[in-house]
Amino acid sequence: MKIGLMSFAHLHAEAYINNLRAVPGVDMIGLADEDAQRGQHFAQQFNAHYFDSYEALLNARPDGVVVCSENSKHRALVEMAAEAKVHILCEKPLATNPIDSQAILDVCRKNGVKLMTAFPMRFSTPLLEVKAQLDNGTLGQLYCFNATNQGEAPRHLRAWFVDKELAGGGAVTDHTVHLADITRWYTGSEVIEVYAQTNHILYADEAEVETGGLLMLTLANGVFASIDCSWSKPNYYPTWGGLTFELVTDRGAVLVDAFKQNLTVYRHDVRRPVWAYWGSDANQAMIDEFVAAIRGDRSPRVTGLDGHRAVEVVAAAYESARTGQPVRL
Amino acid sequence: MKVGIVGVGFMGTTHAAGWAATDVEIVGFCAETPEEAQSIAPQYQARIYPDLKSLLNDVDVIDICTPTHLHHDMVLQAAQAGKHIICEKPLARTVEQAQEMIKACRAASVRLLVAHVVRFFPEYALAKSVVRAGQIGKPAIIRLARGSYRPKKPVGNWFLDFDKSGGMLLDLMIHDFDYARWIAGEVDSVFAKSVGNVWADASIEYGLVILKHTNSALSHIAGAWAYPPPTFRTGLEIAGDAGLIEWSSDSTAPINLLLRKESADAPDVGLPGSPLSESPYTTQIKEFYAALKDDQPTRVSAEDGLAAVQIALAAIESAKTGEPVKLHRLPEAAA
Repeated sequence: MKIGLMSFAHLHAEAYINNLRAVPGVDMIGLADEDAQRGQHFAQQFNAHYFDSYEALLNARPDGVVVCSENSKHRALVEMAAEAKVHILCEKPLATNPIDSQAILDVCRKNGVKLMTAFPMRFSTPLLEVKAQLDNGTLGQLYCFNATNQGEAPRHLRAWFVDKELAGGGAVTDHTVHLADITRWYTGSEVIEVYAQTNHILYADEAEVETGGLLMLTLANGVFASIDCSWSKPNYYPTWGGLTFELVTDRGAVLVDAFKQNLTVYRHDVRRPVWAYWGSDANQAMIDEFVAAIRGDRSPRVTGLDGHRAVEVVAAAYESARTGQPVRL
Repeated sequence: MKVGIVGVGFMGTTHAAGWAATDVEIVGFCAETPEEAQSIAPQYQARIYPDLKSLLNDVDVIDICTPTHLHHDMVLQAAQAGKHIICEKPLARTVEQAQEMIKACRAASVRLLVAHVVRFFPEYALAKSVVRAGQIGKPAIIRLARGSYRPKKPVGNWFLDFDKSGGMLLDLMIHDFDYARWIAGEVDSVFAKSVGNVWADASIEYGLVILKHTNSALSHIAGAWAYPPPTFRTGLEIAGDAGLIEWSSDSTAPINLLLRKESADAPDVGLPGSPLSESPYTTQIKEFYAALKDDQPTRVSAEDGLAAVQIALAAIESAKTGEPVKLHRLPEAAA
C-alpha cells in the first residue's frame, strides 16, 4: 500500500512520516509541499522522495494521503485528494470553520473515499483503559469532566500557529478539539451548548490570536465539561504541555493524565528537568488504524464526522467568547 | 482583651486554639445547647454562656463560628452591642445580609474581620507574594481546585441544608472565589455548572466555575464534595505573562502513610493537613488579634468577605439558570 504526505506545515508530519514507515506493507512514497523550501528541507531530513507538486504526488497513485497543511488549507488539499479517489487522514482541526469541514465531509462522501480525522488521543492507552472501565460500569455514572489541554505557545515551533488566517485562531483552535472529541467519545452524546471566555495576556505582544481560554461544554445527556485550552506552559516547562482530565462520577472521581508516563531527566547541558515520554505511541496506533481501515475497506474508528463535530464546538466557542453568552448547537 | 466564641464545632474549637496562642482572655463559649460546650470550656478556664446576648456583655471581641445562616443576626447583635467581630466564612448566606452587616458594623464603629483562612495558608500566601512581587508577570489564567467529601455531622447536618449553608458552591468554593479575586482582582462575570443542578438526586456535589475578571484574567475554579473520606485535596496554578506557579497538595505531601488501615474513620469535615510549625488558623487569629489591638488592617477585609459572597451567589444562580451572571459593584464594596 502506498501512502504519501501532503504538506509538512504541521509539525505532527514529522511524527507521522516515521509512523507510516513503521507499518508493515506500507510504502511511504514521499511528500509534497506548496512551500518548496520547507518540503525539500523535510524530504532531505527524512530521506524521503520530494514531489514537485501535490498533483505529482497524487499522480503517483497513492492509496492514501496524510494532510498536514496549515488548518485553513485542509479543505483544498482534501478536495484534491478526494477527487483523485485517494483515502485521507487529515490533521486536526479538520477545518477552521464548519462550512469548510462540512465541504470536506461532502467531497469525501461524493468520491467514496475514507476520511479520518487525526485524533490520536482516541488511541492513547491510558484513555482507552479509562473508556473501557467507564463502559463496563466500574467507574459509575459519569457526571462531568474537568479537563485541560495546555501547551506552550507553538509560535516557537511553527509561526503560522499564531496567524489567525492560516490557523483559524489561537489556543481555542489548537487545543479544544481533542477534549471536545474525548467528551463525545466517552459519553456517546453530542455537545449541545458551548460557553467560552478567552484572553490575550500571555504573549500579548507576540501573538495576534487568543492565548488563553476556558470553555464549558454541555452534552445532550447532561454531562458537562470544562476545557482549559490555554497556551499557559512556558517553553522551558519539562515537556510541551499535556492533556488531563478529572472524571467525576457517582462513585467519586478518576484523575487522568494522558502524558504522565515519563522519566524525569536532568542533564548538565540542558539545565532544566525534561520529561522523557515512555508510554505507548498513540500516533502509531492511529496511523495503523488508518492503514487497517483502507485494507479492510471499512470506516476508520475516528471519522471525518468526528472532526466536523469538533470544528462546530470551536466555532461555537468563538461566538460565545465574542458575545459572552452560551451558544446552542 | 476579652474574647467570646459562639459555636463550638470544628471552627469554634480551632479558633479557640488560635486565641490561646495570643494574650487574650477567652471569657466564654456559647453553643446551641450548653451541653455542647461542656468539653471545651474547661480547657480554657472559660464559662459557658446560655446565649449570645449574655456573652456579648462580658467581651471586647466576639468570634462567630456558627453555621452560615446565623452569621447575619449574630453580627448585627454584636455590632449593636459595640463589640468587634470575627466572623467565619462565608460572611453571610446572602449578598443583602452581608451588605447589611457591613453597614451595621460601620455605623457602630466596630471591626468586622472575615475568616478567609486560605489567605493564611503558607502555600497560598506565598503564591500571592510571588505574584505581588511581579515574578510571574501579569496573571492570565488561574486554576484553583478544592475537593473533599460531603460533610457528615452526626446530627443537625446544616452543611447539607441548602437554605442554611448555600451548599458546596458557597460553603467550600468561596475559599477559592476569594483567593482568585485576591490574585487577579475584581470579577466581571461568573458562569457555573454543578452536578447537583443537573442530577438532583446525586449523592455527590461537584462544581466548575469560570470567572472573568475585569482586567480580562480568567479563573477556573473546581469544588468537590465528591471524594471518598478522608480525602482533602487542593491545588493552584497561576499562569502569568512572565511565568507560571504550580502547586498541588497531592504532589507536595511531605509524608505519605502506607499503613494498613485498622478502621476507616474520617472527621466530619475533610481538612487540609500539611505539617507546619503553626496552624494557618492560628496565624489568622494572631493577625486578627494584632489588628484589633493596634487598629491595623488585615490581609482580608469585610468588603472582601462581601465580594466573595457575591461571586458565590452568582455562581449558584448561574448553575441554576444556565446563564452567565454579570456582577455589579455594590455600594458597600468600597472600604
